Amino acid sequence: MQKNFLSNESFPLFLQGLAASGDLHGPVLTDDGVMAFRPICSPADIQLDCIRTLIPPKKYFFPPKEAILTYSPVKGYQLTKAAGKKVILFGLHPCDLAGIAYLDRVFLESQPDPLFVKRRKAVTLIGLSCEPDEYCFCGTMGTAEPQNFDIFMHRTEAGFYLSAGSSRGKKIIRRLSVLLEAREPPSPVPCECKIEETILQAATRGETFSESRLWEDFAGRCLSCGACSLCCPTCYCFDVQERGRLDGETAERLREWDNCLFKSHGEVAGGHNFRKTREERFRYRFQHKYLGFGPMRGIVSCVGCGRCRDVCPVKIDLMELFREKANIL
Amino acid sequence: MTDMTTIPAMATITEVHPLSGDTSFFRLGLKEGEAQGFTFTPGQFVQLSVPAAGEFPISLAGSPGHGRELELCVRKAGHVTAVLHNLRPGDPVAVRGPFGTGFPVERMRGNDVILLAGGLGIAPLRSLFHYFLEHREEYGAITLMYGAREPSAILFRDELAELACRRDIRLMLTVDFLTEEPAGGPVCRVGLLPGLLMGIKLRLDQTYAAVCGPPALYRCLITELLGLDFPENRIFLSLERRMKCGIGLCCHCAVGDFFCCTDGPVFSYDRIKEIPGVI
Repeated sequence: MQKNFLSNESFPLFLQGLAASGDLHGPVLTDDGVMAFRPICSPADIQLDCIRTLIPPKKYFFPPKEAILTYSPVKGYQLTKAAGKKVILFGLHPCDLAGIAYLDRVFLESQPDPLFVKRRKAVTLIGLSCEPDEYCFCGTMGTAEPQNFDIFMHRTEAGFYLSAGSSRGKKIIRRLSVLLEAREPPSPVPCECKIEETILQAATRGETFSESRLWEDFAGRCLSCGACSLCCPTCYCFDVQERGRLDGETAERLREWDNCLFKSHGEVAGGHNFRKTREERFRYRFQHKYLGFGPMRGIVSCVGCGRCRDVCPVKIDLMELFREKANIL
Repeated sequence: MTDMTTIPAMATITEVHPLSGDTSFFRLGLKEGEAQGFTFTPGQFVQLSVPAAGEFPISLAGSPGHGRELELCVRKAGHVTAVLHNLRPGDPVAVRGPFGTGFPVERMRGNDVILLAGGLGIAPLRSLFHYFLEHREEYGAITLMYGAREPSAILFRDELAELACRRDIRLMLTVDFLTEEPAGGPVCRVGLLPGLLMGIKLRLDQTYAAVCGPPALYRCLITELLGLDFPENRIFLSLERRMKCGIGLCCHCAVGDFFCCTDGPVFSYDRIKEIPGVI
């Protein structure tokens, strides 16, 4: 039998071992009281019980703002190069891994985005099992089953059961096998989800809940703050801006996270706005999350991490649409 | 040839002239070697980069048969287009594209075509119109109906005056308001564009309509066309949205579950009619 069990006592050493493969990052409690993926200075900083970070791990592959092109009169426009520094990202819950899997499909499949490719390759994904709270609904979204990881660590009272999901993960486990022992892993507990069928059926038939009164209710309360998409692990709308440098000749083109709840999102030249009202913007967000656009149509991109329901200052919850339909309030 | 999808290819402005108070015509030459074999379908668009100012999506307004030479019709509408309007021949710009799905010129072959343009909507339809003229014998009756706010807002006036003399096409112009008697220029009527359709004989099963204009125009034109029993799948509209990437990534231009930048911007009416807020 393979060595797969890491005891709590060996955990700090395991982290040190991981750090040999790259900069170790994981969930920590920041000075301003926010859970965030940050570099780990000491194993004690890691928040193993972290339920969710405020900003999802997408920032590692798709930074909030990055230069995508540079311009100079001599060389014209050129692609920028991502640093591609090796990072070991520890503590990714199954929902976050599913979020990364979705972004992989968007940025790696039909037209690979050079910056995303470089950053993605440089990051090793270490998953960690978790206990859902009242905001989580990953079981509902079918994302409770871990996917897209290099190593997944199933946490129990005595320690962690490790499984490798890639050759990179296998190599790391092999390298650190001195810290591991062989044990029979506990059998997985199936997730019970009342609403999953409703969501999947709704998505399959392209349900837009066009008659629902909830849209009005949502739009009436929404502040257009955009927190829901900022903290969404699968939201990737971006704006493109160009900034001239102070030399007056060269320039940088930036791509920056954008937000479909912002009024400017649907604006076109001349000032006409195709999504002027909050309700229209909400419907657009719903359409993107549950029905998908273009090549991603038909793919539900909500991973059930619960961030949007948790952070919304006016407690708007798109799940209510499905519950209303299924009469399970 | 460089990858013109992600990296803008350098081009030089070779000609600029005003078409109306806020709109100018730009002719660009793509740098040799950078854009070998550049071609497009009428209705497709490019992302035009103005160095240090930014990038914006714009319809190609010329015929696809001109290789590295591109023609654009740009209104001064924001900070990037304002910088462009200050540029002169010889100044550098850059181009990504072409992007999107244009008008189905193959499917239209052998049929009559009616082009309906409102205001700046003439830009992509000019490209289509020139394409038809270059392939005149492959198409049936060709009609261009073009409406502008007032005589001074009619774009490509000289070109239209010349085309009005041709016997193998039908050109109909209209203006919403006649503020002053136009000095020279093509003959035009007074009234809204949909009015031009009244009394026109169309062979409904052998005609395609191509429409481009502001949203309000679409609404009344579609009503008018459907009133004439024009088949929904023979009406093609070019939708305006703010495409920031052009490759179906940035998610600004979705209509229903389509992306305007890849699935469109040209759609047949039957594909989009059920989408709320589409026009």
